Amino acid sequence: MTFEIDVDGSVRSVTVEPGAPSRFVVVVDGEAHEVQAERAGEFGLSLVVGDVSNASRELQVAPGATRGELLVSLGGRTVPVVVNGRTRRGGATDDGGRAGQQAVVAPMPGRVVRVLVAPGDTVAARQGVVVVEAMKMENELRSPKSGTVKEVAVAPGTSVEAGRVLVVIE
Amino acid sequence: MKILIANRGEIAVRVIRACRELGLPTVAVYSDCDRTARHVREAHEAFHLGPNEAARSYLNIEAILDVARRSGTEAVHPGYGFLAENAAFARACRDAGLTFIGPSPEVIATMGSKTGARAVAIRAGVPVVPGTEQPFEPAASDDEIGRAAGAIGYPLVVKAVAGGGGKGMRVVEEPGDLLAAIRTARSEAGAAFGDASVYLERRLIRPRHIEIQLLGDRFGTIVPFVERECSIQRRHQKVVEESPSMSVSPALRQRIAAAAASVARTVGYTNAGTIEFLLDEDGSFYFLEMNTRLQVEHPVTEMVTGLDLVHWQIRIARGERLDIDPVRALTPLGHALECRIYAEDPDQGFMPAPGLIRALRPASGPGIRDDGGVDAGFEVPVYYDSMIAKLIAWGGSRPEAIARMSRALEEYQVLGIRTTIPFFAWLMRQPAYRDGQYDTTWLDRLMAERRGESFNELDAADTRLVTIAAAIAACLNARAAVPAPVAGDGLSESLWQRAARLEALR
Repeated sequence: MTFEIDVDGSVRSVTVEPGAPSRFVVVVDGEAHEVQAERAGEFGLSLVVGDVSNASRELQVAPGATRGELLVSLGGRTVPVVVNGRTRRGGATDDGGRAGQQAVVAPMPGRVVRVLVAPGDTVAARQGVVVVEAMKMENELRSPKSGTVKEVAVAPGTSVEAGRVLVVIE
Repeated sequence: MKILIANRGEIAVRVIRACRELGLPTVAVYSDCDRTARHVREAHEAFHLGPNEAARSYLNIEAILDVARRSGTEAVHPGYGFLAENAAFARACRDAGLTFIGPSPEVIATMGSKTGARAVAIRAGVPVVPGTEQPFEPAASDDEIGRAAGAIGYPLVVKAVAGGGGKGMRVVEEPGDLLAAIRTARSEAGAAFGDASVYLERRLIRPRHIEIQLLGDRFGTIVPFVERECSIQRRHQKVVEESPSMSVSPALRQRIAAAAASVARTVGYTNAGTIEFLLDEDGSFYFLEMNTRLQVEHPVTEMVTGLDLVHWQIRIARGERLDIDPVRALTPLGHALECRIYAEDPDQGFMPAPGLIRALRPASGPGIRDDGGVDAGFEVPVYYDSMIAKLIAWGGSRPEAIARMSRALEEYQVLGIRTTIPFFAWLMRQPAYRDGQYDTTWLDRLMAERRGESFNELDAADTRLVTIAAAIAACLNARAAVPAPVAGDGLSESLWQRAARLEALR
C-alpha cells in the first residue's frame, strides 16, 4: 500500500508492505525499514525499528481537530500529520477557491480588542494582525503568510464566534 | 470541619487532597461545563453553582454562600484566583458564620491595594520601589502625571492599583509614551478588576523576582520560608518557578525573610501569604506586593522544606498554633522547579487551545510531582484560565532537578489539545537558564529573537519515524476498514476502536 504522508508540511510517498503479524516493511525516501509495530493503549503505537539496532520508540497517534488530520506525538512534541493529502488545518487555509488568499479566523469565541492592520498594509508571516480577548487573556492572532491585507472584517469591540473570518491576507 | 472549596481545576484538587489527608469532608462547587471535572468527582459532596460564565458561578458570592448553608459547611477555602483575594467574599463568609481559610477581610483589603500595601511596607521599614504613593485621581491633569513621572525617572511602569497577572501594567521607556500607557492601563484595569486607578513605579533594569512564602497564626507567630525565584516570566506572567534562588545567599535570605516577616507582622497577617520583592543586580531588594492567598507556585516550597502549606492553612484556620521550626522553613533541602502546563499552543503565540483531552498520562517517578486538575475525556473549557496541571521536579541539586524536569516533560502525554510542554522542554535546554543567568526580562528577549521556529520541531530521524508510524497506522486502518462501505474515508477518530473490535473478533 502506498500513502502520501504530510508531516508538518513536508510530504513523502511511503510504501508499507505488511509481513508477518505486527511486522511491516516501510519504504521511505527509497530506504526500506523493517518495523515491528504494536498498539499500546487507545492511541499508543510502540515501534521497534529493526534496521536501526532495534530502536524502540513510543508514539501516540490521535485524531486532530479536523477530519483527516492526525496529531502524532513523541517525546513531548506533537506534529500534525495528514495521510493522502487532505487539507491541513481547516479554516485558516480556507481561501474560497482563490489561490494566494488566506484568512485569519477566530480560533474560539471572544471579543476583538485591537485591530493592528488596515487594508492595503504589507504584513510579514507571523506578524500580529488582530488581538482577541478569550479565556480571560488577550491573544494576538498572526498572519499565516506574508502579503497584503485585503480585508479587515471586524472592528474593536466585535464579538466573534469560533471560525469567524477576521482579516484576509493576499 | 467540613470544607467548601470555592474554586475549580488543579487547586481545588490540591485542597481536596489535603482535606482527605486530614480526614475532613469536602464540598465541591461547579459550573455547567464542570459537572464531570476532576475536582467534582474527588470531593465528598458536589453542588451546582450556575452557568459557565465565572461571574455567574465561581465568582457568585451569593450562590457559594447558599451552597455553604445547604451543605452544612464550616470553612471555605478560596484557592487562588476567583474570589481568593476578594475582601467582600471573606467578609461575607465571616458574616455567615463560616471560617474563611485565609487572612481577615481587613488585611485582604489593605494589602490588595498596591498603594496601601506599599504604605504598610514603608511602615515596616522595608524598602519599596520608588513610585507614587497615591493612585492618580481620574481627573488628574496630564501635567500632574508628567511631573510625578519626571520625579520618579524613566523607564517606569504604570500599574493598576488592583492589579495582578500583568494586567493593567505598562512599561514606559520615555516621556512621550506616558499618557498613552496610562490610558491603556486604566482601560485594561477597569475591565479586568472594576477599578481603573493606576500609579507609577520606577522600572529596575534587570531585576529578579524573588518572593517569600510565609505563614502566620492567630497568636502572632509569623514564619517566613526559603525564597522562591520567579524571574522566568512571559509578558509579566510567571511560567517557571523554583526554590531556592541561585542569586540569594544564605545571608541575603535571612535579610529578605526578615523584611517579609516584618511586613506581615505590621499588618497583623494570619494564614498563608507571599511577599514579592524585586532583587536588583547590586543585591538590594524592594517590596513589590503581597499576595494574600496560597500561590500557584507553593509546591516548590513544599518540596524543599517537606512542609505541607495547605495542611497548615487549615490548621491555622481552626485555631492551631504554628509550631514549625523556623530554621527548617528557611533551610532548603535540594532544589525544586515548577512548570505551569497550559492548554495553549506555543507555536501560535501561546493561543489558548481548549478542547477535548483524548488521553492523558502525567509524568511520575523519582522526584516528580504532578498537581493535575483534569483527566482524559474532559473538555478544557473556554471560560476559565487554561492551566491544566503543574509539573514539579525535585532534585538534590539544581542540575538534577532540571534533568528530572526534562525527563518528565518527555514522559508527559496529553493527547487531543496543544499544551506548553514542548515550550518547557525547549526552555530547560537553554544555556542561560541552566546557568541561572536570567532576570525578569530574559525570556521575553529570548522569545523575541526566535524567528518562528516551531517548539515541536522534529529532526530528520524523528520526522522519518513519525512518517513510518503514520504509514503503519494508515495501513492498519485500511485493513480494519475493509468492511466499511465508504471508501477513502482516510483515518478517522474510530481508527483504534475499529482495530480493537477486529482484534476482539479474532
